[in-house]
Amino acid sequence: MIKRLVLDVLKPHKPSVVEVSEALSHLEGVEGVNVIIYEIDQQVENAKIVIAGNSIDFESIKKMLEEMGATIHSVDEVAAGKRVVEEVRTPQDRSARM
Amino acid sequence: MKFLEKIRRYIKISEVAPISRRYFIMNAFDGATTILGIVIGAYVVEITNEFWVIWSGLGATLAMGLSGFAGAYMTEEAEREKKLNALEKSMLTELTNSVVGKAGRFASLWAGIIDGVSPAFAALICLAPFFLSSHDVFSINFAIQLSVAMALSIMFLLGVFLGKISNRNMFFHGAKMLLVGLVITFIFLLLKMTQ
Repeated sequence: MIKRLVLDVLKPHKPSVVEVSEALSHLEGVEGVNVIIYEIDQQVENAKIVIAGNSIDFESIKKMLEEMGATIHSVDEVAAGKRVVEEVRTPQDRSARM
Repeated sequence: MKFLEKIRRYIKISEVAPISRRYFIMNAFDGATTILGIVIGAYVVEITNEFWVIWSGLGATLAMGLSGFAGAYMTEEAEREKKLNALEKSMLTELTNSVVGKAGRFASLWAGIIDGVSPAFAALICLAPFFLSSHDVFSINFAIQLSVAMALSIMFLLGVFLGKISNRNMFFHGAKMLLVGLVITFIFLLLKMTQ
């Protein structure tokens, strides 16, 4: 049961982020979508897509994005299970940065 | 997804609305001008049978419709294919079955239909008086006058429409389009006088 999905996506300018987010939000098991464009090229744009829901079907998300002409670069975060577990900082993270 | 919603999405993505508007005006104008030429030519030779105008008008309409459809469809298809190829290169993936590819194919077909139907639409309106005249609703001379008036009115209205979409003086744009029709009429009337 996936509850949160963070994707790095490459998409054409059209369909717009509004249409993409709307299409994703209509999928079963999806309760909310957030799309942020962080890089714009002449033909394409990179977007970070955060999807929240009760039971997100990754395959249907992938299929919808492909239908919209977009491709998933990477799956950056997945939260699954009965409750969402947030990322926590550990001493190891701190030492890794140092 | 509902059919109409799909169409709306394709129109939005392919940005075909302004292109089809251009095609519509250009070809409806062509249709009206062609029939105007045929009708005035018929007046010059003083035809006695309305079916001469009807059949030559329908022949021209069919030719304009088919050439409009084929020309616009093939041109749009080639342009859209070129754009899609460039986009596929940037995306490093095939987009033929995505909404972008489908919208492109829809846009070509849509532009073709508009380009084919618009001259036929204008031409059939201009030919209508001859259909009525063939059923003895009024005389052939009146049908000629009415048809010329209709062709000139269509030209004026297309100009008005152009003025409206460009937010300029609608009457001025209408008059500019009308002038073309008047020039054709005038040239033919001069020819008749020299006969």
